[in-house]
Amino acid sequence: MANKKNNYASLLAWGDTAASFLNGCFGDYLSDRDNGLAIDMAFYRNNLPLKLTPVALKAACPSPTGKLCVLVHGLCCHEGVWGFPGDPSRTYGSALQRDLGYTPFLLRYNTGLPIAYNGQVLDTLLERLLAAYPVPVDDLVLIGHSMGGLVLRAACHYGARREAGWVSRVSRVFYLGTPHEGAALERMGHLVTRMLQAVPHPVAALVGDIANQRSQGIKDLRHGAVVDGVDFSDSVPWLASAKHYLIAGTVTDDPEHLASQLFGDGLVQPPQAGEHVKLFPGVAHMQLAHDEAVYVQIKQWCASA
Amino acid sequence: MVRERLKGFFMEPKTLRQIRGAKDLAEETVDAAALAINEVQRAMTRLPYGLLSRITPISAPVRAVEQAHLKIADSVYFSIRVGNRLVGNVAGFVLDQLDAHVQRKGRS
Repeated sequence: MANKKNNYASLLAWGDTAASFLNGCFGDYLSDRDNGLAIDMAFYRNNLPLKLTPVALKAACPSPTGKLCVLVHGLCCHEGVWGFPGDPSRTYGSALQRDLGYTPFLLRYNTGLPIAYNGQVLDTLLERLLAAYPVPVDDLVLIGHSMGGLVLRAACHYGARREAGWVSRVSRVFYLGTPHEGAALERMGHLVTRMLQAVPHPVAALVGDIANQRSQGIKDLRHGAVVDGVDFSDSVPWLASAKHYLIAGTVTDDPEHLASQLFGDGLVQPPQAGEHVKLFPGVAHMQLAHDEAVYVQIKQWCASA
Repeated sequence: MVRERLKGFFMEPKTLRQIRGAKDLAEETVDAAALAINEVQRAMTRLPYGLLSRITPISAPVRAVEQAHLKIADSVYFSIRVGNRLVGNVAGFVLDQLDAHVQRKGRS
């Protein structure tokens, strides 16, 4: 009986993973068609969306603190990406809760939708979270992996523009493997699609059309996201009231290795060195979301004044 | 009889919604793929027939064979799309039954 329940649970988990992957690839299409696989943005706990009401939040957070951390996953993923290998219940959020008293909230969203749109929805969701949260919040830490970092930047941009209350609570924003300058893989994908569509042959055109069906979320990664059709990296300032930390990895242990120079962490090129930039050689893109050394660095920065 | 078989069955509404979504997506993908491949096949078919039809003595029979070829190909893709729609409707009916059962169970 217990075995049957475990099988059912793993089937459900597999279904959520598959749905998140499909959302990343065709999320805008799914949303337009009102397809049952389309994910509505929400904070998730125990694989279920959290209702943002005082009663539900009190039940979900029996001992709430005034310090919150919000984790936003990347393309084609869900909040399960934060789980450490061997102990999926341990995440940067749960570790920060244990070590520094931050109450974690893990976001799940349709990564195929435009980054700017997801940022706008997250802006309102954070406002609702802070309004319904049982105790006043005085410190809000945001952690974004890959595309999640761009969604956070968009949310901060829209929140700051309308002077939302939650924005002033943000003390630190962590970007793990976030393609602020655009993702080389999507630039390559765009180029290949254009070339295929330009070839005067029906099969090449068909393959090009199929490749062009990828979601707007993926296409936004080409320039590192856009806000209202404007290049993100050039026109959107970083939230001035918060500290921003960039964490990146490389595919090889030697960051000077040609493979690391060419491919970065496998998907994203590392940023230029700086005060709040930390490079983790040998840590690949996906691993950045659940790595002990990365967590130690985040904790250190969170604990610093 | 369906109700008898469903006794003891329960599924989260969210899971059922996902299954319906996957069914819809599969149905739309097969339909779009059949349409697109049909178009490509038509374009590819016209190439050799176009060349052959330039030879004046066989031009008329080549055109006739081309038309027959295209008609057969079109009907094959049409039947794939009809079969796909049929399977989709049956799957939709089964999901409706499960949905109604889950809602009844949720109320009781």
